Amino acid sequence: MTIIRRIKAKLKEMVEKNKKISPTPKTAVTASRKTAPATKSISERIFGRKTTKQVQERPKQEFLGETEVSVGKAKFYTGQVVRAPRVMPQELPYQYDRDRNILQVRDPWWLHCYWEVRTATWERLKYELKDDFYRAQKVLRVYDVTSIIFDGTNAHRFFDIQINEHATNWYIDSGGSGRSWCVDYGLLLPDGRFITIVRSNTVTTPIEGPSWITDEEWMIPEEMFARLYGMGFGLGRSSPVGKAWQERVRRQLYSGAMASPGLASMASPVKKAKERKFWMVVNTELILYGATEPDATVYVQDREIKLRPDGTFSLRFALPDGKQVIPVKGISADRQEERVITPIVTRETK
Amino acid sequence: MHKGYLCLVLHGHLPFVRHPEHEDFLEEDWLYEAITETYIPLILVFEKLLHDKVDFRLTMSLSPTLMSMLMDGLLQERYSKHISRLIELAHKEVERTRWQHEFQSLAISYLNNFCLARDTFEKYGRNLINAFRSFQDAGKIEIITCAATHGYFPLMDVCRSSLRAQVKVAVAHYEKALGRKPAGIWLPECGYVPGHDEILRESGIRYFITDSHGVLHGTPRPKYGVFAPVYCKGTGVACFGRDLESSKQVWSSIEGYPGDYFYREFYRDIGFDLDYEYIKPYIHPDGVRINTGIKYYRITGSEDKQPYNPHIARDKAAAHAGNFMFNREKQVEYLFDFMKKKPMILSPYDAELFGHWWYEGPSWLDFLIRKIAFDQKTIRMITPSEYLYENPRNQVITPSLSSWGWKGYSEMWLQGANDWIYRHLHETSFKMNELVKSFSNTDGLARRALNQALRELLLAQSSDWAFIMGTGTHISYAVKRTKDHILRFLRLYEDINGNSIDQEWLSDIENKDNIFPDIDYRVHQ
Repeated sequence: MTIIRRIKAKLKEMVEKNKKISPTPKTAVTASRKTAPATKSISERIFGRKTTKQVQERPKQEFLGETEVSVGKAKFYTGQVVRAPRVMPQELPYQYDRDRNILQVRDPWWLHCYWEVRTATWERLKYELKDDFYRAQKVLRVYDVTSIIFDGTNAHRFFDIQINEHATNWYIDSGGSGRSWCVDYGLLLPDGRFITIVRSNTVTTPIEGPSWITDEEWMIPEEMFARLYGMGFGLGRSSPVGKAWQERVRRQLYSGAMASPGLASMASPVKKAKERKFWMVVNTELILYGATEPDATVYVQDREIKLRPDGTFSLRFALPDGKQVIPVKGISADRQEERVITPIVTRETK
Repeated sequence: MHKGYLCLVLHGHLPFVRHPEHEDFLEEDWLYEAITETYIPLILVFEKLLHDKVDFRLTMSLSPTLMSMLMDGLLQERYSKHISRLIELAHKEVERTRWQHEFQSLAISYLNNFCLARDTFEKYGRNLINAFRSFQDAGKIEIITCAATHGYFPLMDVCRSSLRAQVKVAVAHYEKALGRKPAGIWLPECGYVPGHDEILRESGIRYFITDSHGVLHGTPRPKYGVFAPVYCKGTGVACFGRDLESSKQVWSSIEGYPGDYFYREFYRDIGFDLDYEYIKPYIHPDGVRINTGIKYYRITGSEDKQPYNPHIARDKAAAHAGNFMFNREKQVEYLFDFMKKKPMILSPYDAELFGHWWYEGPSWLDFLIRKIAFDQKTIRMITPSEYLYENPRNQVITPSLSSWGWKGYSEMWLQGANDWIYRHLHETSFKMNELVKSFSNTDGLARRALNQALRELLLAQSSDWAFIMGTGTHISYAVKRTKDHILRFLRLYEDINGNSIDQEWLSDIENKDNIFPDIDYRVHQ
């Protein structure tokens, strides 16, 4: 690792030197991939073309004003962009250049695996298998490796799943809970040979019911355990365990969705729309507004209200059915004058 | 003499959502709503219980992401603004509803609650962790930790070093915030895989909680079912299984208490109901209608929603608390005769069920605790630590792989909508291993970059993103967060290896993803 870093550092040094000696982008591009975008951006900035060389070679194709623009651009070019800020990519890499196969447990019966194969590995396989490579099927070989240290040959049994040519992940119905599994992604050749490309890690699925193994020191009669088990699933004493499981699955469907951290609020408008087919709501509100001297005191329905600095006011009320008598009383600052205006509003819904 | 124990566990968690780069960020409301509707109401209940000298025990997990947000200055400042705006809106509502008495009295109570929330927030120096710490120090609440960013462990099994980092960072964070070591952990989504207890033991954690089948399907058979904890074979870490009967009474949409017709309807919020021009200043600046927290209707049971009556709802909550206690008494008596031993009934709930989803939840909890303290002698509230102290001898088994999610295993987080993320999450975890190996001792800029790399990795691992993708609604934010953190990590990885760290950019993401300021990247191994 340190050697690689040293080489990288050295390379970088060379690049820097190169830049100083000959600032033509071409050298930089071939010297290091890393500095390429920065250099490229300079050349693009100045010439609006891919490389200096191209422009120089085909001067007759120059567009009117191009030189002026580039000169102008160059004039305002401060030199800071030599290390142009790297633009963050928006998308994740498609692959990571690894030979890898990762197997995970979804539930007692189902597994999920995803894999990746390096281009170099594909090339090697093509080279080694020649024409067979193109006749081979892409296959997942699923090994039952319960309670053994798997060496590639000693599995209890295995089965193959034919998969799509370009698949990179797969859900596998293992057919057996409480067992250990390992999966090879590989090629099945026309003559029946299987070539492993990438082998997965080993996983163990949980059993789907209570264990058959009991503990001498902590024995419990079968029937008593069944009762406790049924209670554990929240269905009272007599429920058979099988039913309990069914019920549990149904119930969990709900609570799983409810266990959302703060999601209930996010989901609300959507849920609302789903629940109702057609609907309509009509409400009425009343806006009462007016103006007086800024220093006056105003009462609406005998309650003092706040005026804006310019003496205007505006109130908003939900308006229910019925008659609203709304006396608005204004009193001058010196308490010498008084006005009362009383709107009466009636709402009737038909 | 009591015949059994009741252990209520509230799991408090929110993913880390903090966007200094935006003035207003929709998803930050998750936190603000939780503070106003769940955490402050719970704090008020606990304060009152302490004040009235009611003895009680409760276990609460506070995820490190939630704690970090509650302790974050920027988010505190923003919450303060948020609650002030709500108070302003409530004032307007009191005015607007002048001719509708049943709504006006509700508007007044919202106004009071919001003011109380602001006062409580300020009283604890804007840091609500201070409140929870004081309840723990008073011996009433046991706070347990959770994984650093709520990573879902069963799908990180191939990245043991990430599991270790999730646990170690969480424990260190807990210790710094609460001044002691955590006794227990809430495994995110109760996701457990046999063997992960070893990682917990390394960090000094003594117990964790699984769903019922985690214990019931363990090997060998657990003699007492979920009604006594078990020790994990090989590590001795205790595992407590969830009792489903008591859970169902609170969770279930059909039989559960929160569905009562007299309880407040969650989906009728004035943010959606009122005239657009009027409500506009209180919803999202882009004009998207959102929940404000002011809701005037009860569930009713039909589309013609009736106004909410808090007095009737309160009586209902008292009755439901009585019902819950009665059922637990019966359950404990039955089990005690059956087991010849005091059963442990452990009922875990999502903390946000109380208040946020189930508005009357905090009152229900208050009634329940008081009733248990004064009205009966069959059950005793206990924390897992106390239980283990009093009952040290327990069966040794290997619990089963399990979670409390949909269908009981990993399907919620591993399905067509989200399975693509693991390729990237695992790869980044492997790359982090490489970094730790190559740079076992660094300082200065490189160290900062390595620490930030681990922060980005942990943030990408939050189970919440996969969960949201799995629900299929509003997934874009979850997808973006996953990609952003992975991309930031990948760039850091390249820069660190190429010895070309961009200090300005590093500072920028350190400022954005500022969780776990004291992190040490070397815990990832």
